[in-house]
Formats: sequence, C-alpha cells, structure tokens
Amino acid sequence: MPSSDIAAAAPAAKPVVIARKAGTFWPRFIVGAAILLIWEFVVRALAPPYVAKPSTVLMAIPHVIVDPKFLAATGNTLAAVAEGLAVALVAGTIIGLLMGRSQLVERSIRHYVNGFFAMPMIVVLPLFSLWFGYSSATRIATIIFAAIFSIVVNVADGARSVPREYLEVARSFRSNRWSMLFTIVLPASMPYLLAGFRLAAGRALIGAVVAEFFLSIGGLGYYILYNSRSYKHAEAFVGVLLLAAFGVCFELLVFWVTKRFMPWYRRER
Amino acid sequence: MHSTIRRHAPFWISILIGIAIWEIAGRSTSQAFMVPFSVTLKTLWQLMLSGEFIRQFLDSAQLFLTGFVLALVVGMPLGMLLARVPILRIGIEPYLMILYATPMVALIPFILSMMGFGFAPKVLVVFLFAVFPVIYNTVEGARSIKPEMIEVAHSFRSSEWALWRDVMMPYTLPYAMTGVRQAIGRALVGMIAAEFFLSSTGLGQLIMTASQNFDTAGVFASVLVIALIGVCLMRVGLTIERHFARWRQ
Repeated sequence: MPSSDIAAAAPAAKPVVIARKAGTFWPRFIVGAAILLIWEFVVRALAPPYVAKPSTVLMAIPHVIVDPKFLAATGNTLAAVAEGLAVALVAGTIIGLLMGRSQLVERSIRHYVNGFFAMPMIVVLPLFSLWFGYSSATRIATIIFAAIFSIVVNVADGARSVPREYLEVARSFRSNRWSMLFTIVLPASMPYLLAGFRLAAGRALIGAVVAEFFLSIGGLGYYILYNSRSYKHAEAFVGVLLLAAFGVCFELLVFWVTKRFMPWYRRER
Repeated sequence: MHSTIRRHAPFWISILIGIAIWEIAGRSTSQAFMVPFSVTLKTLWQLMLSGEFIRQFLDSAQLFLTGFVLALVVGMPLGMLLARVPILRIGIEPYLMILYATPMVALIPFILSMMGFGFAPKVLVVFLFAVFPVIYNTVEGARSIKPEMIEVAHSFRSSEWALWRDVMMPYTLPYAMTGVRQAIGRALVGMIAAEFFLSSTGLGQLIMTASQNFDTAGVFASVLVIALIGVCLMRVGLTIERHFARWRQ
C-alpha cells in the first residue's frame, strides 16, 4: 500500500473571490451582518462585560495594532513559523523525493513517516521541552515536526506518480539519477508539493500557537493567552483575527500559485 | 503463506531496525534525555498494571467520542442543508472557509476563562476542531449531486424527506467520509490540546504529570501510546472512507 492513502491532502478550501455579481454579495453581506449582530447581542445579554464582542473588538483594533508589544509578538511568531516552514519544506521535499523514487528508502521509513503524520503533533511538546528546554528552540522544533510530514507524504506521492515517459526520455538522453530527481521529478510533483505545503502551513501555525501556550514564550499565541487571562478579551481577540488572516493568506497564496503557474492542474479530491 | 511473509517482511524489518536504533540511542545517552525502548515498555506495563492507564484512557475516549459525535451530528445535516439551499450556502461559504483555516487552538484561552474547567468546555474544543472539515466536505459532496436527480425526484412528487433519504444522503456520504477522516485526526489534536490547557485529565494529564516530574520514561510511554492510537484511528478513518468511496461513480 503506498503511503499516499495516509496523505490525501484536504481538499483545498476554495478561496472566495470578492463577489462582483450582486447575486453573491448580498447573501454574504447579510449573513456576515447577522453573525456579528447575533454575537453582539448574545454577549451583551448573557455574558459578563469582559467577553469579546464585535463592538469592543473593533474599538480595540486601533490601539492594538500600534502596540509595540503586539507587533513584537506578531513578528516573533511569524519569524518562527517562516523559519520552521522553510526547514520543513527543504528537508521534507528531499526526503519525499527519495521516498518516492527509491524503494529502499520508501520501505525503510514509510511506516515512521505515516506514524508521525498520524500522531497528534502537540504530544511531542513535553518531550521537546525536556530536550530543548523552555525556549524558542522548542517552538521551532515543534513547528518543523508539525509541518514536515505532510510535505514528505505529499511529495513522495507526487514523485511516485511522475509519468514514466518523462523518465524514459531523460534516461535515453543519459541523464543521471540526481539531475533527473531535481529537474524532472521535482517539477512534475510540484502540485503535490503545494498541496502538502498548504497543509503544512496550517499545521505550523497551530504548532507555533500551542508551543507558545505551553512554553509561555513571547509570540502571538502567548499574547492571546496573557490578555485573555487578564480579562482583556477584546485585545486578545485581535490576535485571533490576525491568526485567522494568516491561515487564510496561506490558503490564498497556494491557490494563487497553483492557478498562476500550474493552470492545467485541477486539484483532485 | 510464503507470499504473506514476503509481503510483511519489509514492514517488520523496518520496525525492528527502528526499535534497535531507539534502544541503542537510549542506552548511549542520559536517561533524562532519552529512554531505551525496553524501559519505555516496562514503564508502560507498570502504568497498565496500576490501572492508571486504563482510567485515563477511558477518560480521554469519552471526551473524544462526545466531541466527535457532536461534530458529526451537527456538521453533516448542516452541510446538506447548505447544499440544498443555495442562497444560504453562498452566504455562509466564505465564513466557513475562514473558520476552516483558523487555528482553533487560539480560542482555548477564551473558552477557559468563560467556561472554566468542566467537561463541557473540553467537549467544545474537540467539537470546534472536528466540525469544520465535516461541514466543508459534506457541502462539497452534496453539491456534486446532479441537479437532474433532484428534478426527477421532484417530478415524481417525492416529499422533501424522501428526497433527503434517497438522494441527498446516499450521494453525499462518500464525500462526507473524507471529512470524517480529517475530523478524526483533528479531534485527536483537539482532545490533547483540551487536556493540556483546560483541566488536566486523561492521556494528556498522563504526559503532563510525567513531564512535570521529569519522568522521561513516563513521557515516552504515553507519547508512544498516543502515537499508536493516532495510527489506529487513521486506519479506521481510511477504512471507513474507502468503504464508502465504492459508492462514488
């Protein structure tokens, strides 16, 4: 059984293009307004005053986004996510390519890759904190761990499904194994790599936030935790909005790259 | 017989090599850093004997199942309803997509300070982790129903209920199962996150206690068990998904 069956990247959430037709704009607008209104009134009627509601969150935005602590936290988390994702992307792609093209590698590490991929990533936190201490090194390690396996699994899938003719042509031109791997197999498995990256980005964000909760080290996750503990829910919620925005940005980025550079590729389910 | 051995040999060889590496690495480093496989097993055995493990496992299972089933019960009908009523779908879709992409862990501190330490807030966390993949995939599946089928049903004067029972549900299930598989994985993460950051119970507590006591063997034993549970659940999810995938044309 190929490792692909574990992988099967989540179907891409279709990014919503800003509606030009009135046919889609009004329903969206009405639903959005309804959500905000219901939230506002339910919280006002039932919850204590510190609980975040749209009006207080909106009022918190101007002073939160210029707050140096908030900006530092955001930069901190984003840098860690970017660093972890970069490592996971490079290492994951290489391992994935080897796994997809070499039976020996595939057989020896397949079960471990699938196992680590299926494991809820946050259980490694206590272990990593024993190894790397309560520091940002643990956060990076968690992000890498959270992100790498979805890339490995998807790239291996892609490398396995490279059309055989491509490789035969390359071989008949006496291309060597390594150049084949990087000039034919890698580009051909690009769509899979992107699908893996999409998954990895989401998992990396979760990994970063959870690590900050667990380790109490500076970052957006800790900013949210700290402010909600001191009953500043509105301020904390601005952090959640930003995280959601990052999640959506990653989705849009992958969608855009796929559409721009691989217009022939239709994502399968 | 012979072919079975041949088919499974690579699996066992790779597992045995992995265990050997683990054992050697464990023996050659400090016990505080890494524990050999044999010690991990021994610790696990002791946890089992003391009944501690079974108790925590059942605790976690209860949390997982409650949240997960709730996500299915809410997610599937809602997904089908959205597909059946296009105007609702168009209105809600962008918000669903945003929620699907939001790291739900970020909501845990709010849930904690509003709902406290009971069982309900933890169920809510598992539910939030699991529900969006279910809704998302159910909508996708229900949209894949050919409009002709619904028209035919209408022209035979099917009631709305018959339409759901005979057309919507059978056609949507195979796709919804993709969501169920994803939801299993996410619910497991949600379960551990809830047990870590809300009131500490279950397998999450097992790890937390071990890690706070610098009991590396305990950490390894519980991580091993959770990894195995993850793999088993993933297998279950795939089996369910494949079973229903045969229905797809």
